[in-house]
Amino acid sequence: MHKHNIRSRSMSRRELLATCGNGFGSVALMGLLGSVPFGNQLLSTPKIGSDSKLPHFIPKAKSIIFLYMDGGISQVDSFDPKPRLAKENGQNPYDKFEVEATQFNNVGKILKSPWDFKQYGESGMWVSDLFPNIATCVDDIAMVRSMTSEFPEHTNANYFLHTGSGIQGRPSMGAWVTYGLGSENENLPGYVVLDGGLTPPGGLDNFKNGFLPATYQASVLQPKEIPLANVIPNESHAVQTAKMKYLNRLDNNLLNKIGQADQIESAINNYELAYKMQSSVPELSNFKEESAATKKLYGLGSDNPHCRHYGAQCLLARRLVERGVRFIELTCPNTGHDRWDQHSNLKKGHEDNAHAVDQPIAGLLKDLKSRGMLEDTLVVFAGEFGRTPFAQGKDGRDHNPSAFSIWLAGAGIAAGTVYGRTDEYGYKVIENKTSIHDLHATMLHLLGMDHERLTYRFSGRDIRLTDVHGHVIKDILA
Amino acid sequence: MIIACTIVGACSTDDTANFTLPDTVDFNYHIRPILSQNCFLCHGPDPSSREADLRLDTYDGATTLTDNGKIIAPHKPSKSILVDRIKSKDPDFQMPPPASKKNLTKKEIALIEKWIDQGAEWKEHWAFIKPNIKNGVSDKFTNLHQGIDHFVDKELKNQKLYSAESASINQLIRRVSYLVTGLPPSLDELEKFANPNESSYESMIEYYLNSPRYGERWARHWMDLVRYAEHRGHEFDFMINGAAHYRDYLIRAFNDDVPFDQFVKEHLAGDMLETPRINLESGINESIIATAYANLGEGKHSPVSIKEEEATRIDNMIDVTSKTFQALTVSCSRCHDHKFDPIPTSDYYAMYGMFESTRIGPTALHNLNLVKKASEEILDLKANAKNDIANSLLNNATTLSIEASSGIKEFIESQDDNSEFELHGDFTSGQWNGWKVDGLAFGDIPNNNTLAIHPENRKIEIIPAAATSRRVSKGVLGAIRSPNFIIEHDTIAIYAKGENSSVRIVVDNFLLIQNPLHGTLSKNINHEKFKLYKLAVSYLKGHKAYIEILPGDYRRHEYRLDSLAYVDVQYAFAYNEDQVLDRLEKKSSQQLIPISIEKQKKAIHAWKNNEATDHDIDILNAAIVKNKNLYKTPSISNLEASLIRNYNVLKGSPMIHTMSEGEAVMSPVFIRGSYKQLDSTKVAHGFLSAPQVDTPQYTQEGSGRLAWAEAVLHPNNPLTSRVIVNRIWHHMFGRGIVETVDNFGLQGKLPTHPELLDFLAVKFIENAWSIKYLIREILLSSTFRKSTITNEKNNELDPENYYLHHYPIRRLEAEAIRDGILATAVEMDTTMYGESVPIHLTAFMTGRGRPQESGPLDGNGRRSIYTSIRRNFLPPMMLTFDMPIPFSTFGKRNITNVPAQSLALMNDPFVHQQAEKWAEKILNDKMITIEERIEHIYLTAFARKPAKLESEDALELLKELSNDKLSEAEMLNSLELWTNFCHTIFNLKEYIHLM
Repeated sequence: MHKHNIRSRSMSRRELLATCGNGFGSVALMGLLGSVPFGNQLLSTPKIGSDSKLPHFIPKAKSIIFLYMDGGISQVDSFDPKPRLAKENGQNPYDKFEVEATQFNNVGKILKSPWDFKQYGESGMWVSDLFPNIATCVDDIAMVRSMTSEFPEHTNANYFLHTGSGIQGRPSMGAWVTYGLGSENENLPGYVVLDGGLTPPGGLDNFKNGFLPATYQASVLQPKEIPLANVIPNESHAVQTAKMKYLNRLDNNLLNKIGQADQIESAINNYELAYKMQSSVPELSNFKEESAATKKLYGLGSDNPHCRHYGAQCLLARRLVERGVRFIELTCPNTGHDRWDQHSNLKKGHEDNAHAVDQPIAGLLKDLKSRGMLEDTLVVFAGEFGRTPFAQGKDGRDHNPSAFSIWLAGAGIAAGTVYGRTDEYGYKVIENKTSIHDLHATMLHLLGMDHERLTYRFSGRDIRLTDVHGHVIKDILA
Repeated sequence: MIIACTIVGACSTDDTANFTLPDTVDFNYHIRPILSQNCFLCHGPDPSSREADLRLDTYDGATTLTDNGKIIAPHKPSKSILVDRIKSKDPDFQMPPPASKKNLTKKEIALIEKWIDQGAEWKEHWAFIKPNIKNGVSDKFTNLHQGIDHFVDKELKNQKLYSAESASINQLIRRVSYLVTGLPPSLDELEKFANPNESSYESMIEYYLNSPRYGERWARHWMDLVRYAEHRGHEFDFMINGAAHYRDYLIRAFNDDVPFDQFVKEHLAGDMLETPRINLESGINESIIATAYANLGEGKHSPVSIKEEEATRIDNMIDVTSKTFQALTVSCSRCHDHKFDPIPTSDYYAMYGMFESTRIGPTALHNLNLVKKASEEILDLKANAKNDIANSLLNNATTLSIEASSGIKEFIESQDDNSEFELHGDFTSGQWNGWKVDGLAFGDIPNNNTLAIHPENRKIEIIPAAATSRRVSKGVLGAIRSPNFIIEHDTIAIYAKGENSSVRIVVDNFLLIQNPLHGTLSKNINHEKFKLYKLAVSYLKGHKAYIEILPGDYRRHEYRLDSLAYVDVQYAFAYNEDQVLDRLEKKSSQQLIPISIEKQKKAIHAWKNNEATDHDIDILNAAIVKNKNLYKTPSISNLEASLIRNYNVLKGSPMIHTMSEGEAVMSPVFIRGSYKQLDSTKVAHGFLSAPQVDTPQYTQEGSGRLAWAEAVLHPNNPLTSRVIVNRIWHHMFGRGIVETVDNFGLQGKLPTHPELLDFLAVKFIENAWSIKYLIREILLSSTFRKSTITNEKNNELDPENYYLHHYPIRRLEAEAIRDGILATAVEMDTTMYGESVPIHLTAFMTGRGRPQESGPLDGNGRRSIYTSIRRNFLPPMMLTFDMPIPFSTFGKRNITNVPAQSLALMNDPFVHQQAEKWAEKILNDKMITIEERIEHIYLTAFARKPAKLESEDALELLKELSNDKLSEAEMLNSLELWTNFCHTIFNLKEYIHLM
């Protein structure tokens, strides 16, 4: 593709003149460079203004892998042990504390965890028997036990986790990241969602660009032979090549014929990228070059098909990081339960989901570490909310946005830390209450961006991923 | 507004460049943008974030005298504290402070100094000053288009720019055809309009403006503003009732060139117009359909906080309404006064109350005249039949027995002055008790012993005193809705009977009633005897609610009214759990009481005299069942015949959910936007304060929407006509005179041609708010007819073409690309209106609420506007080419360049399919040489003949694609070859760009 020829540079200058007076941060300006399909030349763009230096400071992380635990894992059954639940199992929660309205309002008795908790590693972090493999990685993890959300319904909570706003239509975090930093690979998009099989409630809008230019939306790669829509040619290589040659010639003739051509020129460039993606995208899932040991590490040899499937997604995530993709999100595999959303049958549901993801995630952490990639890759493990310490009906748990556990690992993270505390039931946060905005601020911070300065003008306001909130969670940073 | 604008936006980052200052510094064009951008966050209209009690958004504030002197001392920059502070390098003194991460450039500082030196003249924000044409200017032009050229040329001259030549007629035909109809010109059109002997430019414009395709194109523009969708998104993507009828309304309105003021009024208050606009052809009420726009937002089915969900819904309505009609971002004032614009939170909550006082429910799209005529006829026949029935019953009276009365009446009457009980409606009284009656089913007063005749099972029945939806017939749409009340009791009950009908408790205007949380708020009425329907509401005590009773029911939130649906209601009340009520229910199936013939006769006479009790009616109905002769009376036969004859008039009409009036609710300000923290005083309904329209009469009854609409259309409103003419300009030139088409506030862009904008705004109103008129005049202007070719000097001076020295090249919109492909391939089905074509599902479209079946790949050849818009399953190709996600107003679409666009045109099966269809047609035509074919293809795709080199290139490609192995005859007959060639044409940049 054409890089930085005079024309595209002069256009960027003009875009600047056209927009800066009315408040576009120069970060936003980069998004308007039509000739840069994924904004991936941002770092090499000439200095324009005081805020234009991106990253804002030296980044710890180059890429983020976001392991999305769709439906809401129960914190009291995974990473936040609460012995009192066992003691008071079966008792009436209304006698113990103030019970808030829940999604199903079918409040049962206090429910002890079906799993035992043990301490692991040098840090002595508690992990339940649900995650025996992740447990072996605790010394690389910072656990946040005091995460909160603002929404008890899946869709709003999903939008909130993904876009910092509970309503549809805002840019997702991956879009913000690529808007700010672009991709380091010219042949791949900067923001990729690996569809594990389950699209979260709220749909693909969780991964969209919102009001940011469409360039920044996620490319959702599916676990199929054809991972991306229209990425496989409908014709022979020879036919396509002949067409491309012709298109290139005629389009360039057009370009020469008319005086103003930025739009046409960038469209031409996009054809070249699209053409390359036809091979670069399918190549991603070609695991031939991976060793048998690596594959085993990720669980590709497991008896459990869901584990094999999620393992392949995790391995794909590593390969995307290697290729310079900025933001990779993995959605959950379909284990036949309704995601982690166990309104009933908690034990079986959580167990099957954990079997699918535990080994692959541990494998990913270990593989990244052994390759030295964990140093500049941030891994985030989070759902949209937690679950209630009391039962829904007999053996389920309802949504609980007031407290849940998430963890981060890798670049810039203080490994082995436990941050925040919940009450004795794991129902509400009592120390270091943390918000989704804080998580977003921290993620951007690790990528070298100040969440207050990464803005985009829409609807009369400079809008941020973190709205008007958010603080970097300094205590979990190395 | 006459200041020529020499810089379009003051540039705050261009610090190193040399700059020149304008001779006269203008506050609106040069100074306010700097202040707004850099100072207003802490020294602006919002007192909650104001620092040092200093405001710079008003003249008084900015010229305040402090201990150290004036903040701004007019004519004396050196004595103005502001200048000291902005020039200071001391971090403790400097403004804006370093922590704000804002910086003034040298040029900005110089501008401020010069402005103060020239007297620091203050002006109101340009958009709030009424559009004004300088004296005498108007008289200079016979036609609007001359005025357009005058103002554009004047500015070009000022800027020392050269005007481009005129575009060729072929280019203009393609340009006009696409912009007016969204489609490329057909070969016939091209041939006709390119021939000066056969047609003129003017007649070409008229042809396209009169094409039904015009409405389809411009309706879609409007749909971007009102975040049009047919499904609600969220977990299950439930449908929005009747949304497609709103789309059809728009298409008709644009095609009929409904005056824009009427169009606005219909949107905001179409249900309240004294004389609604009736469709001449179908007889339906057009005006009310427009109100559906408010109901096209997202919605979720199980909000844990029903009040918060209402706040979210109304916030979206405010956002869309204020941007669409006034280009103001009122929703920014939800939590605090607007940071930049003079929009206080009270403006927001005045609008909030307006929507909170508005109810949404089904409206039938039927022929009003026919329905009224049929109803009158049937009611007359019923009145006539009364005597015959009474006589027949008197003559045929035999022994009979009836069930004892339920005692409901006695129960209700015994409940006076009782905190455990509240009567919401007693429809046996002949009064509505403040209930609102919607639609035609229930009539002006509750029924008093009307006759019901059901031809389908030959049943005759006398309805006791009750609200009934079968006053005329079953299956007629209508609803009764109670006044608002605060829920204070555990249960709400209605005493009713009916078939496939519903009672719903609408709490905080929440309509997506269902399990798991709110299933108890609705009950189906499906029993032929009166009984109690009880709805548990104790969990919502303290919430505002109303009761809605209507024939028909909701299934997965789709409202349906079958032909047999009806409901009769006597009472509605609220109570706490009560033994009496239990006994009442047990009593209802008791032993029979014999009724003597004498008693029967008494009852019949009572009915004739309109004095019948429920007991009398029970007796009459028992007698009717025993009377086999009734059906033979001629008046009954006539009635039955009329009901059958009018079946299709009364029943089965299409439905759409529209607005209707509720009770006036005044909302308090939500402190920091939280529905949990309410201010103590309530905000009266009223219009926005900034446009300074003479306050129209707000009666403070109902929603006040009509008054709000009148304020939008008030002659002093400075925004409305500017906003719409600017939107039209935007569509014609790809950029508005004000580039931020949805934001005319202080953070919006300044107009590039302020005088022109005002000229258009004034003339638009003078010409009866006609959109077609404005489009026609723009098309007639020389400005529009310029070619896209410009010169180096122009490009250097005005690279962004703000001054229109040439016509800008634009990529076509998503719909125009897809529709263009269908038209080029001659595969378009031009059927208009109706249900949307189901979305074609690919393997990449996953998630909850996924439709069971995929729609056709080619959308049945229908235009894109007829493809269903499901929030969770939006058409991927449309999104790829920047169709907005429908969540808020999008007057200006993004125009992006992403590889997914290239991939779609290269590899999408739809594009390949259409290439093949096109090739099939080409193979069937009569052209005998390859060159002729190429020429034909070029004319079809680009509305021009190929240049010689282009023909040669095409031929070369054809040869390469056939591996140089085919003879000319074989080439001419190879479908594969021409499919490939046509597919390549779709992929040329020229195909998806407007030149």
